[in-house]
Amino acid sequence: MEEAASQLEREHVHSVYEKIAPFFNDTRYKAWPKVRQFLLDQEPGSIVADVGCGNGKYLHINENIFKLGCDVCRPLVDSAWSQGHEVQLCDGLRLPYRDGCFDAVLSIAVIHHMSTKERRIRAIKEMTRTLRVGGRIMIYVWAMEQKRRKFEKQDIFVPWNPNPPSSLALHGPARGPQRGGRSQNEGEAADSSDKHRKVRSTSSMVDDGDLATSQQKSQRLWFFSRSLDSVLDFGSLSVSRSSSREISTLCTPSDETNGPKVGWRCPRGKGLIRQMSSLFSSSRTSMEEDVFETDLQEQVKNEEIINSTEGNEAVSVGLLQDCTSVPLPDLVSYEMEQSNEMRQKENNGEKQEDDTPKQQESTASLQGCEGENEWSREKLKDSCMRYYHVFREGELTQLIENHVEELHVLHTCLDHANWCVIAEKVQVWRI
Amino acid sequence: MKLLTHNILTSHVKGVTKGYPLLIKATEVRVNEVEFNPQFVSRMIPKLEWSALVQAAEGDLPSSLIQDYENNEEFLRKVHRVLLEVEVIEGCLQCPESGREFPISRGVPNMLLNEDDS
Repeated sequence: MEEAASQLEREHVHSVYEKIAPFFNDTRYKAWPKVRQFLLDQEPGSIVADVGCGNGKYLHINENIFKLGCDVCRPLVDSAWSQGHEVQLCDGLRLPYRDGCFDAVLSIAVIHHMSTKERRIRAIKEMTRTLRVGGRIMIYVWAMEQKRRKFEKQDIFVPWNPNPPSSLALHGPARGPQRGGRSQNEGEAADSSDKHRKVRSTSSMVDDGDLATSQQKSQRLWFFSRSLDSVLDFGSLSVSRSSSREISTLCTPSDETNGPKVGWRCPRGKGLIRQMSSLFSSSRTSMEEDVFETDLQEQVKNEEIINSTEGNEAVSVGLLQDCTSVPLPDLVSYEMEQSNEMRQKENNGEKQEDDTPKQQESTASLQGCEGENEWSREKLKDSCMRYYHVFREGELTQLIENHVEELHVLHTCLDHANWCVIAEKVQVWRI
Repeated sequence: MKLLTHNILTSHVKGVTKGYPLLIKATEVRVNEVEFNPQFVSRMIPKLEWSALVQAAEGDLPSSLIQDYENNEEFLRKVHRVLLEVEVIEGCLQCPESGREFPISRGVPNMLLNEDDS
């Protein structure tokens, strides 16, 4: 799980930011007001860390405090250093700072890039370790519930197009290339004097949506993923030996058994997303709360669950899809068909009653997607896909309350497209 | 890397219990001019590991904190210089226990661990 998680992050967070780092400086602008205020509120002589500082956009605020920043992305860190900031290269899960050395810590738009719940918790715990008792941490993560658009799933891939179509020029010359991740959720509020920015909206998704209409219609703005937690969380359920076998089979390079899928025709079909997706689509379907009863009936159980959850959004979809002007088809049904097929191959002919209607549906969607293939493939080739786990209301607070006993949540709010939490480190006494 | 940063950094190699302070092996050092703020420096001092700072300062600082340093401008200026003006541009930081070296290049320490030492 750990390897899969870090590989996912390497491919769809770290390397993407490395590629898009040069563009960040073109579109940098002021800090979120709340973050700015948090920094200004610190007492003179405080030591503050910005974990996941990017190119250091917050590090210049408040000259009476000592700030240091860190990030995994070398080009961004170098850029921050050239601005005169103290920065280090390091991993948020293993901070190279001694215990209790910071008066305050920032984690702005960072932990939503971590691909498992466990890693997100670890990141918060690490930051808490470096915080002194009484010190405060401010965390910002993308919200699932956004004003203009709601993500349908929590684990998603967001494309970032470094080569926007020329029609973007409509929005003003100062724009330059399309904004990167951080900027996508830090839109309008920050600076009312900046007219260009007002044209855009805050929500990352709608940013892209407001652009040239052809792009909007043709390019899917985000892709479903499935939380690594639900697939690979062997701890919380009795995963059968057979499904483990399935997973390990899929992890091998030869995945011919998966067969053709929507979206695999594009050149980006290779690589981790494909592997992960194929993994997701053939293993058991579930939400994180699923519990399987016993080993013995596992195969049958899977099918039953598939059938019973088909009607709602319970099944997370793992397919990366070529985006088209055809709205995202009901991938639930397509995925179930795939899983059913898989199961059939392995179980020698167990039947699914609902196969026929679903097949019809998914065939239609397949055809629809195929038609648009050419254009969208081009687009996809240019885009870097970033992994995000967007947070539901209360999720971050709950995460802290349930798993980080040294943090006491002081304040929660929805700041534009982000959930913001401020928490204080408390002394925990064990009797 | 400034020496104030160095005072906060520690080795986080797996299994290491005494990863602090990191040994500085500098090949390129720079001294900048930074505006002196006595209040800032005097508030910073209690947050530091003084002996680690003395070690890093290589003789520029007394081995123990002087009394009433808050009002001793000369002392504060010395501390200011060590903390904020001296900068290691190239070199490395060495874990005192494991010997593992973390490179500093272009002023930035690379504290990323490999799979095997985390």
